[in-house]
Amino acid sequence: MTTVKVSHVSKSFGEVKAVQDVSFEVYPGEVFGLLGPNGAGKTTTIRMMLDIFRPDHGEITIFDGKLTEDKKNRIGYMPEERGLYKDLKLEPTLLFLATLKGIDEATAKARLEPWLERFDLTGFRQQKVQNLSKGMQQKAQLIATLLHDPELLVVDEPFAGLDPVNTRLVKDIIEELRQQGKTIIMSAHQMHQVEELCNRILLIDHGRNVLYGEVAQIKRDFAGNALTIEGQGDFTNLPGVLEARRHNGTWNLTLDTGVDSQDVLRAIMRQDNVKLERFEIAEPSLEDIFVTVVQRAGHEEAANA
Amino acid sequence: MRNFWLIAKHEYLKIVRQKSFLIGTLGIPVLIIVVMGVSILVALGQRGNLPLGYMDHTGILNESVTLSVPDRGKPPVAIRAFADETAAQTALEVNTIQAYYVVPADYVQSGRVQLFFLKKRPGEMAQEDFADFLRANLLADHPADVQQRMLEGSDVTFRSIDGKRELKSENVVGFIVPFVAAFFFVFAVMNAGSYMLQAVTDEKENRTIEVLVTSIRPEELIGGKAVGLMSVGLTQLGIWVLTTVIALLVAAPFVPEVQGLRIPWSFLVVAVLFFVPAYALIAGLMTAVGGMVTDLRQGQQITGILNLFFTLPFFFVALIMAKPNSPLLIVLTLFPTTAFVTITMRWAMTTVPLWQLGLSWALLVTSAVVSVWLAARIFRLGMLRYGQNLNVKTILLSLRRNGLRAER
Repeated sequence: MTTVKVSHVSKSFGEVKAVQDVSFEVYPGEVFGLLGPNGAGKTTTIRMMLDIFRPDHGEITIFDGKLTEDKKNRIGYMPEERGLYKDLKLEPTLLFLATLKGIDEATAKARLEPWLERFDLTGFRQQKVQNLSKGMQQKAQLIATLLHDPELLVVDEPFAGLDPVNTRLVKDIIEELRQQGKTIIMSAHQMHQVEELCNRILLIDHGRNVLYGEVAQIKRDFAGNALTIEGQGDFTNLPGVLEARRHNGTWNLTLDTGVDSQDVLRAIMRQDNVKLERFEIAEPSLEDIFVTVVQRAGHEEAANA
Repeated sequence: MRNFWLIAKHEYLKIVRQKSFLIGTLGIPVLIIVVMGVSILVALGQRGNLPLGYMDHTGILNESVTLSVPDRGKPPVAIRAFADETAAQTALEVNTIQAYYVVPADYVQSGRVQLFFLKKRPGEMAQEDFADFLRANLLADHPADVQQRMLEGSDVTFRSIDGKRELKSENVVGFIVPFVAAFFFVFAVMNAGSYMLQAVTDEKENRTIEVLVTSIRPEELIGGKAVGLMSVGLTQLGIWVLTTVIALLVAAPFVPEVQGLRIPWSFLVVAVLFFVPAYALIAGLMTAVGGMVTDLRQGQQITGILNLFFTLPFFFVALIMAKPNSPLLIVLTLFPTTAFVTITMRWAMTTVPLWQLGLSWALLVTSAVVSVWLAARIFRLGMLRYGQNLNVKTILLSLRRNGLRAER
């Protein structure tokens, strides 16, 4: 049984191929990450899932079938481009959106109270949405997504516009929802923000599947492809290294597939004026893995051309 | 259906709570009250409380001649004869009369009289009272009923040839109401159009739409908005009609023109029957426009042209008055956007045949349903082309490709 199944889906806007042959499945109770840089096709994929766009090719099923009106009530969607009635007060807006999802106003009201408290919005319930800060509107949008207690939560860039405190709050809520057995699909372009939450991911770039599977397995597969180095000297332009990034005096090196870390060590030691203080095989971040995969694909494409 | 009514209620409350709606809706009743108030004040002030004087050089006027003239709201002003001009002038200066007339010896031949006053000329009704006094004296030798008839004039009833409708000269309301209704309708239509356009483009601009279409069907959203707006229109109309009726009732004892007015019920029934689908039609059309554009400004440019299709009959007022049953007007009666205004204005001048009313109503209702249905599809198509304008070619292509099927 799958909560969402996307099979070979493509979508073009004029000449622009936004999504090309993307496939993935999301299972009940998991947190699934739809990751990729800006413009990769994540939002278009989500919009096709939710029947806002129709795919040109391919098939999508939600809760093992076509998306029906009843099924819509089982989904909570927080779009990337947040949408609330700016000229209405916060509480009536949230209640109205919740009632459209099939619950009565009294239930919505009872559920709203603890959410407002948790998000520190109780004092703003009678304020017009346009008078709330961007962060508050973001939190209000999340309440609107959760108020009808959906089984499937689709959140597009959930941490955009949030400060670190609220980012942590939202992460905690996602974790709680996972524990309650909810299925969560979230998209993000800043992969480090979601990798700790996701069970499985789809990395997407230029509208195509790049990497798909369990986060732990992917990290295991790509272990050894990343090095952490500290010391003095030039660690760029080493053979077999796809990317070398320096952060707080530490170098993070991403290796090409099949490159032995010991060969890199030997290459470093062959250099003059190098003083090595630390050489460590690192667990790669999703960002590192993404860079590896994308650059490898670029090399293959160049070789085939 | 539940979501349909939720949207309708939401849209209704959202609009009626807006300041612009309150100002637009209550502004007209306030205007009516002010106009009626001024009319009452003018009517009260027109006679003045002081008597009128006169000096007669013809020798035919008799101060004691009085006739029961048609009621003009208050008893006629008292009229006093003066033997010479000096006495009349003195009375005027000491403020015992408001003015005096000098009736020359050749009055019967020339019809000329002179009126003398100090600062303020006597009101029109006071002057009318003196004119009645002159007429009553000239008719003094005739039987009382003849005198009465001469003073009151005739009460003409205008009957259509088939005898189904009539218009009494005293019932001017039957003539005026349709024209006023036509103006109100146009005002309401333009209001509705701008509200609807704003409602649809607002949700596209603030992105609420993405949340809404993942909760409800486009038909529910658009239909609900149309019904909500229609309710707004009816509320507006109800307030206007109610205020007008109350104002007329209050003004009746003071303003003679208002007395004896009869409410043209048949017209009101027809007006309401046409108003509702006409409102739905404009709502549908505006939604379609809102669905095609990405922001309000673009939509407003198109709706300016659309409004013309509703106001077109006003360009033919002269024709409506001269030849209310001309073929062009029959076409405008049957054409959905022009039906309401044409029928209401023709109603004042002629009897609109039943077959025209029936056919026009059927066409209007059909076009209203089709417009809302089509608007939902265009709106849906606009969603599929998120952030891009739609052109007519794209819409037609898409509708043809989908065989006019609903884009769920």
